[in-house]
Amino acid sequence: MIDLLYAELKRTWIQFIRYPTEVISGIVIILAVFYGLFSSAQYIAGPGFAFGDRLDSVVLGYAMWTLIISVNNDIAINLQIEAETGTLEQVFLSPYGAPRVFLARAFASLALRLLILVVVLLLLMGLSGSRLAFPPILLLPLASLLMAGYGLAFLLGAVALVFKRVQQILGIFQFLLLFLLAAPLEESTGLMQYLRFLLPMLPSTGLLRDLMARGVGLDWATYGLALLNGMVYFVIGLFVFRWAEATAKQRGSLSGY
Amino acid sequence: MLDTRDLSKVYGRGKQRFEAVKHVSLTLHQGEVLAFLGPNGAGKTTTIKMIAGLVRPTHGLVTVVGEDPHRQPRALRHIGAVLEGNRNLYWRLTPEENLEYFGVLRQVPRKVAHRRGLELLSRFGLEEKRQTPVQKLSRGMQQKVAIAVALIHNPKLLLLDEPTLGLDVEASEMVKALVRQIAQEGRAVLLTTHQLDVAEELSDRVAIIRRGRIIAEQSTEALLKEFSSSTYHLEVEGELSPQQIHTVTQLGATVQGTQITYAGTSENLYALLRALSPVPLVAVQRDRADLTQVFLKLVKDQPDASL
Ligand SMILES: Nc1ncnc2c1ncn2[C@@H]1O[C@H](COP(=O)(O)OP(=O)(O)OP(=O)(O)O)[C@@H](O)[C@H]1O
Ligand SMILES: [Mg+2]
Repeated sequence: MIDLLYAELKRTWIQFIRYPTEVISGIVIILAVFYGLFSSAQYIAGPGFAFGDRLDSVVLGYAMWTLIISVNNDIAINLQIEAETGTLEQVFLSPYGAPRVFLARAFASLALRLLILVVVLLLLMGLSGSRLAFPPILLLPLASLLMAGYGLAFLLGAVALVFKRVQQILGIFQFLLLFLLAAPLEESTGLMQYLRFLLPMLPSTGLLRDLMARGVGLDWATYGLALLNGMVYFVIGLFVFRWAEATAKQRGSLSGY
Repeated sequence: MLDTRDLSKVYGRGKQRFEAVKHVSLTLHQGEVLAFLGPNGAGKTTTIKMIAGLVRPTHGLVTVVGEDPHRQPRALRHIGAVLEGNRNLYWRLTPEENLEYFGVLRQVPRKVAHRRGLELLSRFGLEEKRQTPVQKLSRGMQQKVAIAVALIHNPKLLLLDEPTLGLDVEASEMVKALVRQIAQEGRAVLLTTHQLDVAEELSDRVAIIRRGRIIAEQSTEALLKEFSSSTYHLEVEGELSPQQIHTVTQLGATVQGTQITYAGTSENLYALLRALSPVPLVAVQRDRADLTQVFLKLVKDQPDASL
């Protein structure tokens, strides 16, 4: 299993770095978007506005959103690409079984994405002079967030396995996510205050905002719920993925028919 | 080594229902090459994928070295496969990297996978290209790498779906030589192809499938013999005497100069040879069917009642 993880890290890294121009242009694009967002937020807020909380949370919200989107789409998009290029069936020939292989792949691509995100955030801080708080305790809600995120990724992966064309679904999904993640539901009152614990990832993003932008400490009770939320979505995702694998084998449509 | 019993596959439901494979039972032993032949859409790829655990059979069982790949993913350690189409590899990775990656994916320890990868590359004559991304290799080389990848975990059964498709003559020859070597190492090879000369050269046994049903399965040699006519062509050196011509014609042969054609029993053939004595013989040859003739005959002649 360690070997598999290492092999996936290596493969992900090589495929990423083999054409350096792609890497550089990719990073430049992300950076440009970030920077544009950052300066327009500054512009709208006006020069008299004391930056700080609001601005930081805009940047962070966006950073989180891009991370989550890429995590969510990760498995589905790669399944689709590999079905088209023809390597997918070779992957399903692994005696490890597909869920374990895709789990290892998820870890590998997550490592790469986090690395890119850190590079982009550092560059951005250098450009804007803004400082984001990054206490290590942040890793806790990040973990529960990613668990739920990968749960959704396996769900979307399942959709890709069974229905093949997922581009539209992914698009709609991104839109929904933007709404969900951008709305600070943790500040809402009434029913929504409770419902948000049922929606994927929301408890974790609320906590992240607390820690990074609001400077509030971690509420352990809420974190417990966030962790539970992450685990439940992760397990659901894996479960549905296995069902989708069986269905695709039944239909003979693993490689896309 | 490989045993399939009563494999059947039904795709779709209701109006779309389509029986692609019907009651296919195949066995394959160590070191044996089975050519799995059939017209387009006959169900070859479906059968291969059922054996590899990629398509779930509607009925029937697959056993590879005693394990069922549909029940135990472990069974996949015994199976290597190069599937239809030209991309069984990561195009951005080099042959060396592909071999190591797929080795680990097939549960070979990383160091071992690396070492075996290098061995396979040198055996397949790809040492120079080991650092070139697969994308930049010729079609023939890519196919060789794909076969090497299918062997990285030392499987007992190798499945090859149209391994020579789209290869030029030289590359096909290389692949053929490799398949022969692989079988000699004691692996069982199941291959499909539309190039019947390839099948004839490589296979120990042939199974012909048509509309999902096996219509012939026997050793290549026996099949060819069965379909060979019992017509003999003889050639002699010099003229035959009128007496000899008379006897030979009596036996049912026709004489044209130095060429004699004879279609009869083999006992009478000796009588014919005695009659020719002492004129020197240049050649005695029996008409031999090739696999193409056999195949066309079998596939065309079967009545459609089986549908
Ligand atoms: N996933 C699928 N869903 C529905 N029908 C399928 C599916 N896969 C194959 N078929 C049908 O099953 C039949 C057998 O297909 P298969 O690919 O096994 O044939 P084949 O013998 O490999 O043909 P070829 O020589 O063209 O490769 C075909 O009629 C095909 O249309
Ligand atoms: Mg086929």
